[in-house]
Amino acid sequence: MKKISISSVILFLLLISNSIQGQNDKCFICHESIGDNASVLFKKDIHFQKNISCSGCHGGNNQSDDMEVAMNPRNGYLGVPKGDQISERCIKCHSNSETMRKYGSKLPTNQIEQIKNSVHWQRSTKGTEHIVQCTTCHNAHGIVSVKNPASPVYSLNIPKTCSTCHNSAVFMHSYNPSLPVDQYQKYITSVHGKLILKGDSKAADCSDCHGAHDIRKATDVKSKVYPTNIPATCSVCHSNTAYMKSYKIPTDQFDKFSISVHGKALLEKNDLNAPACNSCHGNHGATPPGVESISKVCGTCHVLNAELFSGSPHKQAFDKKKYPECETCHKYHDIVTASNELLGVSKDAVCSKCHSEKENRKGYYIGMKMRSLIDSLDAEIKTANALVNDAEQKGMEISDAKFKLRDANQAKLETKTMVHSVDFEKFKEIVSGKGLKTTNSIKDEASAAIDNFYFRRYGLLVSVLIMSILAIALYFYIKSIERGKKKIK
Amino acid sequence: MKKFFLNLYNWIDERVKLEDLVNFMGKKYVPVHSRSIWYYFGGVTLFFFIIQVVTGILLLFYYKASADLAFESIQFIMSKVEFGWLVRSIHTWSANLFILAAFIHMFSVYFERSYRKPREITWITGMLMFFLGLGFGFSGYLLPWNELAFFATKVGSDILGAIPLIGEELKIFARGGEDVTGATLSRMFGFHVALFPAIFTVLLTIHLLLVQRQGMSQPMEMVEKEMSEEKKMPFFPNFLLRDLLFWLIVLNVLAILAVFFPSELGHKADPFAPAPEGIKPEWYFLFMFQALKYLPAHVLFIEGEILGILLFGAAGILWLLVPFWDKKTARGQKNKFITYLGIFSVMFIIVFTILGWLT
Repeated sequence: MKKISISSVILFLLLISNSIQGQNDKCFICHESIGDNASVLFKKDIHFQKNISCSGCHGGNNQSDDMEVAMNPRNGYLGVPKGDQISERCIKCHSNSETMRKYGSKLPTNQIEQIKNSVHWQRSTKGTEHIVQCTTCHNAHGIVSVKNPASPVYSLNIPKTCSTCHNSAVFMHSYNPSLPVDQYQKYITSVHGKLILKGDSKAADCSDCHGAHDIRKATDVKSKVYPTNIPATCSVCHSNTAYMKSYKIPTDQFDKFSISVHGKALLEKNDLNAPACNSCHGNHGATPPGVESISKVCGTCHVLNAELFSGSPHKQAFDKKKYPECETCHKYHDIVTASNELLGVSKDAVCSKCHSEKENRKGYYIGMKMRSLIDSLDAEIKTANALVNDAEQKGMEISDAKFKLRDANQAKLETKTMVHSVDFEKFKEIVSGKGLKTTNSIKDEASAAIDNFYFRRYGLLVSVLIMSILAIALYFYIKSIERGKKKIK
Repeated sequence: MKKFFLNLYNWIDERVKLEDLVNFMGKKYVPVHSRSIWYYFGGVTLFFFIIQVVTGILLLFYYKASADLAFESIQFIMSKVEFGWLVRSIHTWSANLFILAAFIHMFSVYFERSYRKPREITWITGMLMFFLGLGFGFSGYLLPWNELAFFATKVGSDILGAIPLIGEELKIFARGGEDVTGATLSRMFGFHVALFPAIFTVLLTIHLLLVQRQGMSQPMEMVEKEMSEEKKMPFFPNFLLRDLLFWLIVLNVLAILAVFFPSELGHKADPFAPAPEGIKPEWYFLFMFQALKYLPAHVLFIEGEILGILLFGAAGILWLLVPFWDKKTARGQKNKFITYLGIFSVMFIIVFTILGWLT
């Protein structure tokens, strides 16, 4: 009974307060009385609940029920704000922390600063206003908190809201004809999109990756989706163990990626050719590649490797055992530079996972021979390099041989590609025909330069000796002349 | 063999009367005293110049004066041309030693007051050749078109641009445009192998003719006395052979330097690359460069750098004209001011060169 009475009191107070709100606002009273849709929507608006009058945005005198007075431009009446006037009305309060505090709001007041850096703050095709106004995303009347499921910028609604413009080829064509308009369609096929459609507001929506007010072009280095920033953007959620707990997926992807050859290239060397998360998982349609498509995903960059692998005997064997193609040997997020140690039959070599002297012997011996060849090429490159350095240290001009070292290293790189074919003869052709042939030529040139260095030294010794003998002889000759023992005729 | 040379001599003598020349040279004497050693530096300077001409011609066979090919052609000379490395190295070292020998020769003449009447023209031609030698160095430095040369030329020509009134025009003339480009390289090449050698040859001919005509200058204290047999030596063959001995010694030094410290080529000039740190001019410009650095930004109403350039310019002109304003020496009196000025100049050059080297 007591509970019922307390509930009744609260309900009564709410009704009272609702009826009080707008009670003195002649604009609202009048527009509501004629069933104006804006006033119907406005009743649910957060601004209405904070006792902000229609005149807060439209101007005019909200205390007069005389239309001539209330809607007189002399009284500051603006009518329906148009273009940038809309955002200007919003900014008036939303960039003023004191005003916001007065209404008990804890909202940030830097939205305008953020949006000014945004791609949306470009001039529209009309040229008189910016592309978006606050109302484009937040609505005009009936604005509710972003946490309210009725808000167009509530997490679950954001993809739909953004797609209003971004799905329209005609509209987008006016601003960026090269930008796709199928983001929403892709998004709903992604893990994130599917979860959002299921009502999981924790899943990433557009604003989680692109930002809310500060959305920049993906080519802008400050954008959250600029290639070098993508891993950090994804890791906001994917490295958060507590946040990801319910999804039961690992949260070490970012750590692994950071130490990988791709991560180092992207994050340390700022190499934009290196893949970020979206390169393998997709961006709007983000999803983990399946076992069968891993080689296709890797093959978009590592074309030759994928092609050679597809034609190799390994392809069938992997398919049969349902092994993921690239991942089996190279792992996935923590892919490191493929060293010689991966090849062969030693304990750490990946070949020995399937091949041994007893099982799958052919591969065992091919792996062993390939390793031996690549090691010999490595050793020869090192020797050639040392000779070139030695010659250079001795001050010899050896730029040709130095340039050829690139060819030798290129051959080494080619062997790393050819290894995917598991074709020993082709592999051998690269090592011997290209690699070792080049290293031999480098060694010859470097050795000749070093020999030349010593030839110069010995040549100098001989010439200094001759000149010194001449000088001594001349000295004695002069002395003999001066002593009058000899006369020049 | 002896007969062959005798016949050859007679053959030429019949046509150009060599006898007169031999008689002239036979009567030519060189004073012998405690400071006779300085006489040899003129010959050594000439020797380095001859080496420069010979090695320069050899380099010309392969050098290509264009921004696209200059660096590569030097690379080719150093790696592919037989003894190309040696020729280039000797050319570089000999250039430096030429300037050094010219410095020594100039100061020895100055301290001995050998510029005094009647050798004013010899001094003037010598000084002009010295300035040309610096010009040879500056113009030749850019020719390999490497990073250091490019930026040093840029800095050097910027200093040229600071000369009041004519600086900007002079800079544009030297660069062949607003900036150091391929046009500058062509221009410097033209100066280095055509214009400067032509002027130098004229000056050198006058200088050598005057030295032969007037003979070696005697120290002031010996002028009054008649040269005794012990106090003089015949120019031919004694002095000439001693000259030859000296040349052999410096040739030895040059060979050792060229082989042990071959000139490097560095990296090809990239006009768009940032200037490497610590860009310095060649050592013989270093004292001026360093002194300009120590000057404050403004001295009274004039910019420090401009003041420095004006002072160096004035000092150069005064130095050039010393035979005309040193009246005391001309009268045969001792002029200590000249000695102090010389010592100050030598000390200034040494100290500021070392400072420039160390900083």
